[in-house]
Amino acid sequence: MADNLERVPTVAEKTLRILEEGQGEYSLPDPDVFREWTARKDRAMRPKLMTAQEAVARFVADGDYIVWETNYFQRGPSALIREIIRQRKTRLWAGGKFTWVIVALLVEAGCCDRADMGFFVGGPGVTRAVVEKRLKVYEYSNLVMAARLRAGAMGLSFISVRSLGGTDGFKYSGAKIIEDPYTGKPTVIVPALYPDVALIHVHQADQYGNARIFGTTITDVESALASRKVIISAEEIINTEEIRHKPGLTKIPYYLVDAVVHQPFGAYPGECPGMYASDTEHVAEVLGAIYNDKVKEYLDKWVYSVASEEQMLVERVGLNKLKEMQRRATMVATEGYRS
Amino acid sequence: MIKDGPWKEAPKATTFAEREFQVCIAARLVENGKTYWVAGGGGPMYSVLIAKKLYAPDVVYVAEDGVVGPEPMLPFDPVMTLAAARPSYRALMWSTMNGIGDQCAVGYLDYGVLNTLQLDPYGNLNSTWIGTYGVEGRRFNGPGGADTIAAMCRRVVLMMDHQRRKFVPRVDFISSPGYLDGSPGARERAGLPANTGPWALVTNWAVFDFEEQTHHLRLRAIAPFVTLEQVLAEMTFEPKFPPDGKVETLDPPTEEELRILRTEMDVNGQFTDTAAHWVVWEDGRWSLVAKEQGKKLSPL
Repeated sequence: MADNLERVPTVAEKTLRILEEGQGEYSLPDPDVFREWTARKDRAMRPKLMTAQEAVARFVADGDYIVWETNYFQRGPSALIREIIRQRKTRLWAGGKFTWVIVALLVEAGCCDRADMGFFVGGPGVTRAVVEKRLKVYEYSNLVMAARLRAGAMGLSFISVRSLGGTDGFKYSGAKIIEDPYTGKPTVIVPALYPDVALIHVHQADQYGNARIFGTTITDVESALASRKVIISAEEIINTEEIRHKPGLTKIPYYLVDAVVHQPFGAYPGECPGMYASDTEHVAEVLGAIYNDKVKEYLDKWVYSVASEEQMLVERVGLNKLKEMQRRATMVATEGYRS
Repeated sequence: MIKDGPWKEAPKATTFAEREFQVCIAARLVENGKTYWVAGGGGPMYSVLIAKKLYAPDVVYVAEDGVVGPEPMLPFDPVMTLAAARPSYRALMWSTMNGIGDQCAVGYLDYGVLNTLQLDPYGNLNSTWIGTYGVEGRRFNGPGGADTIAAMCRRVVLMMDHQRRKFVPRVDFISSPGYLDGSPGARERAGLPANTGPWALVTNWAVFDFEEQTHHLRLRAIAPFVTLEQVLAEMTFEPKFPPDGKVETLDPPTEEELRILRTEMDVNGQFTDTAAHWVVWEDGRWSLVAKEQGKKLSPL
């Protein structure tokens, strides 16, 4: 019988073979370094309510790697993104899944010089920034970025994926193809992602950061687990008693969270599913600004010329528009978005 | 691949945009009882939704944000095709991005449907950069979820405008994988799951598949309003042909397909209006009529 067994290589004969590797830069994905960070994070149930200004000033540093859920148009932390632009943060490294316009806005505002992508609306401004080497783009895909965050959330240094291999994006990424030590097949691996900051807009949270998200959740939970600093903006602040009453609805526990910002219409101009529809005119305006190279004008009007989100909502958007957005949401699909 | 179906007997449309034709043709390729991963919005989503309503009621589709099996509330607001209330309406499950990726990785997602800007003979897709990457040209959106769909769904249906500049011998940048260099096992050597890859390409003028041995693009059928010569003239390389040399002629859209597309999906004409021409049936033949001037271009 023993003759039929394949000869198993001894440990000494085995070397992990790297068959190909991309040239993209990435931060060293060392889980033990991250664990040192989480060791220091406060576990006390302490109120963390603060304004967007304060949260961004305290928890977003120049040079940070930032991720956000979902994007500027769909339950994204749009208010927090605008605050980052308003505070003129610099040298941010953006981790983008299907982000639509956020990277283009950050780049044109001078906030961002590196991006791991994903999907984003580029337009002439981004093309110019790349060609002039003001923006370095590393190429992944939405799902590979999600896998990298998951690897971070699992406390790993890398994860194996069944995509990205064979693409030109692979060459500009931090991926490698290795000979799988178990099957012997070529296998793509990508480095885990441990962002400095996660920006997550949620439907409801309590003052400590226990957060509820209704609807699909993209990689909200993975981002919260894998990021050093987590800023939650919430449409509604609810009592912890309510959280305890329906614990199955909690997606993110408070001790992952550093700041809670009460930010009604925080996803504006996007939709917050079940609460308000998008501002379709604004969506067209910002997309048009990017395609037509008018981002500076867009930022002047919607970000720099207003001191806060509240001022923007009152003076630039107006109550009628906000009511109309709410009406369009409640007239249609609200099922599933309430506790 | 080109099947007969209820569209054969249904009342035919006599005026439509080329991209409307493309969506309807893609809808007829949808296989009932299968699972689809649909890239957000536009032609891919419209074609699967039309098929679900008319031809393939047991199709279940997922979207990248985590939606499984929705009964979407149409029409959608502009851009709000993913991670929004209307496209997520009455779903069977609201999951996560990794949750959908997992379903695809273990093999539960049969078909993917994708748009592309540029395509080569082996079905490689470019949606990242037209020109010399990072040096000159233009940055586009990137693969988004398309790379994963192209890598892991069992069969992939591609959609592209039929234009010479889009059919290229080699794409400027492989954003999402087709059969790579076309050689046997190329995808597996790149770490992708076995028995996957592009299955069909639907343009506004023609339907292609990929030859089994060579993985090279193969012409299967053309629109009734163009000639074979026109189809080939708008490509920079020659496709393969079926062994019997027979290229079929596609049926025009039906009135019902267009009614659904125009009243429930592309209600503002955002997707189909970008086409330059109407296709019009007049005096016993098809004509291409420029939309803007309303003037006849080329009686066929």
